[in-house]
Amino acid sequence: MSRSVWKGPFVDAYVLKKAEAARESGRQNDVIKIWSRRSTILPQFVGLTFGVYNGQKHIPVSVTEDMIGQKFGEYSPTRTYYGHAADKKAKRK
Amino acid sequence: MTDMVCVGAIAGSFGVRGEVRLKSFTADAEAIADYSPLATEDGSQTFTVTLTRVIKNGLAARLSGIETKEQADEMKGMKLFVPRDRLPDPDEDEFYHADLIGLEVRDTGGTLLGRVKSVQNHGAGDLLELHGPGLKNTVLLPFTKEIVPTVDLASGRLVVDPPEGLL
Repeated sequence: MSRSVWKGPFVDAYVLKKAEAARESGRQNDVIKIWSRRSTILPQFVGLTFGVYNGQKHIPVSVTEDMIGQKFGEYSPTRTYYGHAADKKAKRK
Repeated sequence: MTDMVCVGAIAGSFGVRGEVRLKSFTADAEAIADYSPLATEDGSQTFTVTLTRVIKNGLAARLSGIETKEQADEMKGMKLFVPRDRLPDPDEDEFYHADLIGLEVRDTGGTLLGRVKSVQNHGAGDLLELHGPGLKNTVLLPFTKEIVPTVDLASGRLVVDPPEGLL
């Protein structure tokens, strides 16, 4: 069953506080360490980088517009799978 | 930078007419045939690959010189390679994972931090996994111009400017 709209998206309060503090300090490149994988990504998080805990370490997640509405945990896998490099490319943004 | 890049492996025979079950490691699985002919790791054998169909967990393919099921069975587990120079040139600010893995990583002051162990992407941009002597665990660095200002493939090194608290 989906969440009622009147409640609004769920975000742990400390995530909001940390994001606001990072914005005010102007250090937007810093990684904001969070443990809340259940929090929803809000529009005010766009441009910030969060370190989302996966049970072992914090995985850097740079928030972009198309990630709004998803949960942080979706971008921080808890299982290791490397795969093969082959012809895969990485783009430096 | 490695000279040979592994693009696939043979998982066994397929059918009784000498076809093989091919596992493709390329970004687009069927693009493996575009790099044909493929070689073994030591380069002693080369095969022209013709894909015949898509099957569960891979592709069915016919390799040149492999005519019978027995020959195909013998090839199980063999990895297939392509010379690095046969991969097309990437766009600006794009890099092959194979080129980045193993590069030396230094900070802006010139201190050696370690080497790139792997390149990962979990949906929120590419990440470089850094492994170094002074690091307890591996560290993931976002692959951005701010954090990785210099990628020098010719001299085999990256210069990184990690944000505070990441290392």
